[in-house]
Parts: sequence; C-alpha cells; structure tokens
Amino acid sequence: MGFAMIAQVYFWIFAAIAAACALGVMLSRHPINGAMSLIGTMVSLAGIFSLIASPFMATLQVLVYAGAVMMLVVFVIMVLNCAKDHSTPLFDGAGLFGVLPAAALGALLVRVFVGLDKQATVAMNPQAPRGDVDAISKTLFGAGQHTGGWALLFLAVGILLLTAIVGAVLLAKRHLDSPSEPATIEGGH
Amino acid sequence: MDTIPLIHLQLLSAFLFVAGLATVLLRRNLFFVLMGVELMLNAANLSFLAWSRVQSGASTMEGQVSPLFSIAIAAAEACVGLAMLLAVFRSRESLDTDAYSRMKE
Repeated sequence: MGFAMIAQVYFWIFAAIAAACALGVMLSRHPINGAMSLIGTMVSLAGIFSLIASPFMATLQVLVYAGAVMMLVVFVIMVLNCAKDHSTPLFDGAGLFGVLPAAALGALLVRVFVGLDKQATVAMNPQAPRGDVDAISKTLFGAGQHTGGWALLFLAVGILLLTAIVGAVLLAKRHLDSPSEPATIEGGH
Repeated sequence: MDTIPLIHLQLLSAFLFVAGLATVLLRRNLFFVLMGVELMLNAANLSFLAWSRVQSGASTMEGQVSPLFSIAIAAAEACVGLAMLLAVFRSRESLDTDAYSRMKE
C-alpha cells in the first residue's frame, strides 16, 4: 500500500508545528505573538487528536481552546495595549532557578517514557472504537454501565463554570460597592 | 498497518509540558504566565488521549472523557485569571511580576 506511512508523516508535520509554536510562546517578546503561537500549538494538537481517533476532542480543542479561550486572551491583550515587555531581559540570573526545575522535570519525563513498551503503538484501525460524540456521551453519562459514569462530575463542572463567570464579572468590575454607576470619565486614573 | 508509536506522542507531550513550565517560571509578563499554564494543560490532554488509545475495553473511552473536564477547568482558569490580571493591572499599571512586591516593602 502506497500510503502506509501517511499517519506518521502527518504526525511529524503536526508535531513539528506544535513544538515550534511552543518555543515561540516561550521566546516571543510581545504577548500577541505569544498568543498567536499558542493558537498554532492548539490547532496542530487538534490535528494530532483527530489523527489518533479522537474527533470529539479535536473539535472541542478548536472550539473551546483556539476559539473561546484564546479569543478572550487576545481580547484582553488588546485592551491592555501597553503589555509589551522590553524592559526586562528574557534570560537572566534569576531565570536559572526556572530552567533547573523545568530541565529536571523534562529529564524525569524522558526517563519514564524511554522505559515504555516500545511495541505500544497507536494503530490507524478503522474498526477500533473512536472517541466520537456517541461513544463519549455513553461513557460520560454511564449508559448501560453499572457505574453512574461521570454525570455528577459533569454537573459539578457546570457549577464551576458558573462560579468562574460570576467571579470574573465581580473581579473585573471597577467599583464593587456601586454596581449601577455608569462608566464616567474620572480625571484619568 | 499504519501506526504512530506511543512513545513519540508521549515525548511530544513531555516537550510541550516542559516548554509550558519554562514559560511560567522564566517569563515576567503575566500574559505569558497564563499562556504557559494553558500550554501545560494542552500537553496533559495529549497525554491522556494517547494513553487511552493503547488501553483496551472500557478504559479506552474513560481516557477520552477526562480531557473534557481538563478543558472545562482550563476555560474557568483563563476566565478568572484574566479578570484577576485586569484588576491587578489597574492597581499597579504594570504586567511585570517584579512590580508586585508590596509585601516586601
């Protein structure tokens, strides 16, 4: 079969884009550049998700992460237009204390993953169960299982999101004790 | 059969996680700290999904469901984190984490 390696080719393309964009997040100066790199990482990760037979998570990755969350981040970056940091160097002496834990964690993870079973592969099998909406909803709400599934956790996530929205609105309010005050010009402070 | 080795997916996930952690620890700008956290959550999602494909039976789908909650928590985190960033920017007029040192003074 001529296209026997096509999944690996796509994986390497997506992995290279994701890794390069992750480095872009780490090294870019302006937050807008970092946010665009992060969107690149998320979209290529969505490609990898659909490659390993998780189309629902790939859709959610694009809709929620690259769509909603990063839209919010870019919006706030544009509201605070003076966010560019050119005063502090990217790497200095204090950064050494950040590099060491990150390098130690990376070495630990690589050490664990190298000891994995080399034969374990993600096969591109069309007959294997895919993570589509049907299968995921059955697992999530425990259809046809003895356990209740994850339905209670799902409800808790709904409450968490509601709490987060209310908290964000309260935090972003300028004057907490005068909720009905219109946004007037107050002598520039 | 066309396959992707599990170790490649896990190493990519580890790289993204370490890049996110380094972003959180190295950068002074609050936006980059938040974006580093998002990067780490993404890496964990990739690890979840990759592991779920090599399981057999019911746990295949369990690994597909877990990232759903991770994404929901990431959305809540970004929402509250950005609101806190706005509030803290109003009081200090700066996004540099070195500027938030009133406890030391």
